[in-house]
Amino acid sequence: MKRRSWWLTAIGVLVTAVMLFPVYWMINVSLTSTPDMRKSPPNLIPIDGTLQGYTVVLHQQLPYLGTSLLIGLGTVAVTLVLAAPAGYSLAKLHPRGGGALSFVLLIAQMIPAIVMAMGFYVIYLKFGLLNTVWGLIIADSTIAVPFGVLIFTAFMSRIPNELLQAARIDGAGAMRTFLSIVVPVSRNAVVTVSLFAFLWAWSDFLFANTLDNGGGHQPITLGIYAYIGNNNQQWNAIMATAVVASIPAAVLLVLAQRYVAAGVTSGAVKD
Amino acid sequence: MTVQRSRKARTIGAALLAVGALAATVTACSSGSGSSSASTASASGGTYTFWDPYPQYSASSPWAQLVSKCGTEAGVTVKRTAYDTTALTTQALLAGQQGNSPNILLIDNPVVSTLASAGLLTATAQNGLSTGEIAANILDAGVINGKTYGVPIGANTLALYYNPKILAAAKVNPASVTSWATLTAALAKVKAIGKKGITFSGINTEEGSFQFLPWFWGAGANLTNVDSPQAIAALTLWTTWIKDGYAPNSVIQDTQTTSWQEFQTGQFAFGENGTWQKTLAAQMGAKVIAIPGENGGSAPVPTGGEFFTIPVQKNTASYATSAKIVSCLSSGSNIVTTDNTLNYIVPTQAGQQAQVSADPSLSSWVAAVGVAKARTGANLGTKYPIISEQLWTAVQKAESGAASPASALAAAQSAATAAINK
Amino acid sequence: MTAERFKTRSAVRHGDGAAQSAPSRARRARARRRAQLTAWGFILPVVAYLGLFYAYPLYRNIDLSLRSYTLSSFITGDAPFAGLSNYVNVFHNPTFAPALVNTAIFTVVSIAFQFAIGLGLAVFFFKMFRLSGILRALFLVPWLLPLLVSASTWSWMLNSDSGIVNSFLQAVGLQPIDWLTSPKWALVAVLIANIWIGIPFNLVIMYSGLQSIAPDIFEAAAIDGANGWQRFWRITFPLLRPVSAITLLLGLVYTLKVFDIIWIMTRGGPATASTTLAIWSYQLGFGSLLPDFSSAATVGNVLIFIAVAFALVYIRARSRLETT
Repeated sequence: MKRRSWWLTAIGVLVTAVMLFPVYWMINVSLTSTPDMRKSPPNLIPIDGTLQGYTVVLHQQLPYLGTSLLIGLGTVAVTLVLAAPAGYSLAKLHPRGGGALSFVLLIAQMIPAIVMAMGFYVIYLKFGLLNTVWGLIIADSTIAVPFGVLIFTAFMSRIPNELLQAARIDGAGAMRTFLSIVVPVSRNAVVTVSLFAFLWAWSDFLFANTLDNGGGHQPITLGIYAYIGNNNQQWNAIMATAVVASIPAAVLLVLAQRYVAAGVTSGAVKD
Repeated sequence: MTVQRSRKARTIGAALLAVGALAATVTACSSGSGSSSASTASASGGTYTFWDPYPQYSASSPWAQLVSKCGTEAGVTVKRTAYDTTALTTQALLAGQQGNSPNILLIDNPVVSTLASAGLLTATAQNGLSTGEIAANILDAGVINGKTYGVPIGANTLALYYNPKILAAAKVNPASVTSWATLTAALAKVKAIGKKGITFSGINTEEGSFQFLPWFWGAGANLTNVDSPQAIAALTLWTTWIKDGYAPNSVIQDTQTTSWQEFQTGQFAFGENGTWQKTLAAQMGAKVIAIPGENGGSAPVPTGGEFFTIPVQKNTASYATSAKIVSCLSSGSNIVTTDNTLNYIVPTQAGQQAQVSADPSLSSWVAAVGVAKARTGANLGTKYPIISEQLWTAVQKAESGAASPASALAAAQSAATAAINK
Repeated sequence: MTAERFKTRSAVRHGDGAAQSAPSRARRARARRRAQLTAWGFILPVVAYLGLFYAYPLYRNIDLSLRSYTLSSFITGDAPFAGLSNYVNVFHNPTFAPALVNTAIFTVVSIAFQFAIGLGLAVFFFKMFRLSGILRALFLVPWLLPLLVSASTWSWMLNSDSGIVNSFLQAVGLQPIDWLTSPKWALVAVLIANIWIGIPFNLVIMYSGLQSIAPDIFEAAAIDGANGWQRFWRITFPLLRPVSAITLLLGLVYTLKVFDIIWIMTRGGPATASTTLAIWSYQLGFGSLLPDFSSAATVGNVLIFIAVAFALVYIRARSRLETT
């Protein structure tokens, strides 16, 4: 049994290594000096490497990282506040027209991002949300909310009705039931939705580019553009930015992976 | 088990809160407040918005400081926003539609006619900019139907960089490369010693058209007839190079930067690229010759470089101040400093003389810019983008072998004509 | 009060038909209305959110496609009504057929591979060997990267001359391939990159689906003598059908929208070899120096219609699944 486990681990490591090879390549490019950028054949390891990309990034990009983090956390908050109650209602409270709402949420995910971005420009201009962090938080949440409602609905429909009725008998209203029973029990769904929302907000570029280009606070995806001039691009700095930007999110990932999605889609299975 | 888990969850939650607080502090301490860019225009005081496509210049760069200095001299505060050059056109259009145009917009020259035809730009009659000293061929991109809509910040163009070491090893005299035949012969000699011939950008974007135009014009072809025998000859030159291995297959997807990176590996004899690379070229010891025409002489080359424009505003009194800021940025010693930073050529004779006396190696570039043509010139205006898109598509088709040069260009001509006459 | 409501409801459930007086019926109706109000109270924020942030961009897109906008009328806002002529023009455009075919191939192949690989990996990681948790977390790293970076990295790796993939092919004695520049291979190149990017999503969802299957089912099957392969196909896979259906549907919706990867790697080229409807829509609106927003919006709407059609198919299939 133990031998089999090691054999599986070896395959697992190999498969993961193949999957992560492009990430390794990204790190490789970030350490490559400019004359070697287009060397044919390319260097597998950055011989004659340079830390120039990283020094530039660490001097310039930290504020952008801070903003990205803020936007990520804000998006998580907005997504949870909107999606969790909606998921609960669709799963347990059966509002009339709930089916139609589910369908509309599905359609909402089909709208191409550029269409959304152009529409938001007009709305934001009217409400003064252009070039603000809050504007980006709301825009990024539109990526995550429909999906979040889907996950919450599927998960919360699995909650045993007896649990909710017990709360009712004790005199709890719907909001109390939601806050003190449903949310704690749905911890895994909360973590999953938070993870998706954070990652989607972290890597968003289109909304940031259209709606926050003139802002004082810009996320890291726009910070990369400091190295993409109108005639020249500094690729080692660009890749270094990406590497540095990935680290906080990777840490979050490893911390949260145990909670992710355990039984989240169970509602969809048990019919 | 549950208690342990919830304690862990609480720890993670606390960690996240701490991180969030840290993020907020870092952001607050670093940059100023981000407010929307509404322009309160008045002759004395107020904030003017300035958009340019130079995100590589941060707020502390000499360019940004020059911009705010010119603003102060005109009596206003300038708020500068740098956009990625490919996104700037869209931003300008969206802003114009919502009445949110910036006071001054620095934009790539072939886009000027697009924005002017959309009614977004003011002409010199309205904004009072003076254009007298600027070379006519460089100003041409901003002239639509006899009206001038902008002032160039500088001019750049294309030439053939070469690696002297490789040419010496291949026993090729750079001075002998004066026509297509002699260039191809040189490439053959370079390939014979195991090096690579030439690299350029043949990508399906405006950069690809830009790089193709010297060969297109050098064969005597005209943008109104992209399926002429001369045009086919130019495209055949490129496709033959790729087929014979003188140019790498990657030119089909190369941007000008990628092509330059290939040249920088030191494996290429020739690289077609622009004025903006001249500092890097000097660092690697590369030199420059003009792009040869088909049968001799220098091929006409397209003008690159951005234009200062003054978009239409509700408050027309702001044009005078905007014009003052533009004049400050585009004349005297300011423009020479700026163009040296950007690696562009000054669009006035006086400025060019100043540049050449400081750096004599620029004389070949000044000569190239002197014979350059505007892409939207000859009254092509907004027809140019349509033709250009079909041209780069045809070039891609032929380069990748999907179609022969003749059929690709014929398809391009009919598609362009159909789109123009729609 | 609450207990009374509970008793009344249970009375109804237990079919206590005799004691149905008018006041209790009215109380029940009031209770139902209150329950509906509460239910709607919980979804009202999302409904308002949908109306404000999704309805408006969608409306603008439809408006752009039903009028013929030129650049100046885009600025001023008064464009003539064009009916369905934009749609007719789009269907007759020579780029439409290749774009449609490419979209179909790209979508089907992408979700097939993403799903299969995601499911395979989920089953593999479910064996809970040493390090499986950390390795599974590492699999999500491609998701962290901004698409600009992942697409650029793949571009670099697949470069005809300086790419590592071609170096590897040459090292094992194969011919190098012009991944991004050959009309034959461009679509394959963007497919590879897109599949790579989509694997983490499928892995997470399918893994959670596996976790929700009660373990005693597996034990019972093992006792009955079923081997691993049989266990998977006869038990696991059928039980995963609802999760698979939603994963495939979401995969379809997201893949139809895919734009950044293809744009950064090939911009839809060479010629139309890797142009999909999403790419074409962007090309029309933002890819040239002279934007054509009406046509771009039209192609965008065609994309949405296709997605809606598949969503309806899914709903039909799911309701049939529920009734069996």
